Amino acid sequence: MIRGKKPCAAEASDLVRDIIRNLQKDFRVEFRSRFALNVSVAFAVITTVALSLAAGGVPFTPRVQSMLLWLIIFFSAMNGLSHIFVREEDQGTSLFLRISVSADSIFASKLIYNLVFMVLVLSVITPLFMFFMQVTVRDVAYFTGSVAGGGLSIAAATTIMAAMVAKAGGKGSLFTILSFPVLLPVLWLSILATASSFEPSGHTDYGTLVFLLAFSGFITAISFLLFRYVWQD
Amino acid sequence: MPVTIVMAFLWAPQAALLGDASRILYFHVPIAWVSVLAFIVSGILSIMHLSGSKRQNRDMDEKAYNSAAIGFAFTIMTVITGSIWAKISWGTFWNWDPRETSIVIILLIYIAYFSLQSSLPDNEKRGRIGSAYLILAMVTLPFFVFLVPRLYPSLHPDPIINADQKIYLDGRMKGTLVVAIVTFSILYCYLFDLMNRILILRKKIEEHFETCD
Repeated sequence: MIRGKKPCAAEASDLVRDIIRNLQKDFRVEFRSRFALNVSVAFAVITTVALSLAAGGVPFTPRVQSMLLWLIIFFSAMNGLSHIFVREEDQGTSLFLRISVSADSIFASKLIYNLVFMVLVLSVITPLFMFFMQVTVRDVAYFTGSVAGGGLSIAAATTIMAAMVAKAGGKGSLFTILSFPVLLPVLWLSILATASSFEPSGHTDYGTLVFLLAFSGFITAISFLLFRYVWQD
Repeated sequence: MPVTIVMAFLWAPQAALLGDASRILYFHVPIAWVSVLAFIVSGILSIMHLSGSKRQNRDMDEKAYNSAAIGFAFTIMTVITGSIWAKISWGTFWNWDPRETSIVIILLIYIAYFSLQSSLPDNEKRGRIGSAYLILAMVTLPFFVFLVPRLYPSLHPDPIINADQKIYLDGRMKGTLVVAIVTFSILYCYLFDLMNRILILRKKIEEHFETCD
């Protein structure tokens, strides 16, 4: 063993410890103000109510319902997911984080945070949308899988984008501009899968969910490799 | 280029149903090819910029930017020529065909890349973050270019390399198309070289002024 170099097991345990510490800090700071969560949920509520009001009780077709649901999910996510990195830059804590913790553990903890954040946002948006937009779900398991798979992919792909946007001064609309082209396969397939779960004659294709999971894994692996170049100054 | 134009308008025969309108094929396909080629070159240069040593690959990000700038112009031309062809053969300029969607995605990626570059004032940071974004965008592109058009029905004619791995074209049409693709690839190389030489000159001028100060 080279002197001064830690064995793999020790490095792994350090990484896990750093991830847990970062997560504790992030959740504590975020849930002290709940700013990002409040903004995302408020946006979703306002948009859903506005759509329902504009429709005047007339139900939309399953395809339109699915499109509207995913537009609300996408823009709600865009309102909150970048906050985790932008806050570090705004509060001047990113330098301390950079010198005290490895880039890998920062990426892993921010990714986990964004996944949890996305689950919370989805758990509010989806029932609310179904209540206001008179949605009838044909296949509940497929619908849940499509929403969860799409949300997971959005959180996985946008974590590194959030770091890029934070480095660019946290310009709000830039996050959406950067994320949209990369997220289009996810949105496209999620809209199709969700619409299929609404349609009475729709068919259940679990291949779409496998694609969403594969995309999440693939984009996470690439982001993990690229993150250190974005994060380090 | 003049040879390609003569071949496209005079030598190659008309297509069976489309008539003279089919001649846009000799411009639309090579332009689309160059827009993807420029994108791939940008991605490879970005990988080289991030993976190599600072001194060795210091200009790679700027070269990637140059390639992306050419690719952006060619992507816009692809959309324009494709829309004209779609209007003639399908009756509408745009109908979100999977292939139309994939070229719009490339256009959006270029727009996002330039927006990111313009928002980063520091040269070094711009190079690193811009390169990382381009690599991330490049790896998602095969999902659109190769996977989605094969999964969803399309009105678009078969790509040159299709499922049967055959080119369904008359011999003279095939020859003209190959010449056009080579010509536009050479045009891309020429423009790319020109922009890189301008980049070197600009750096020399900047260095000269810095030493004067």
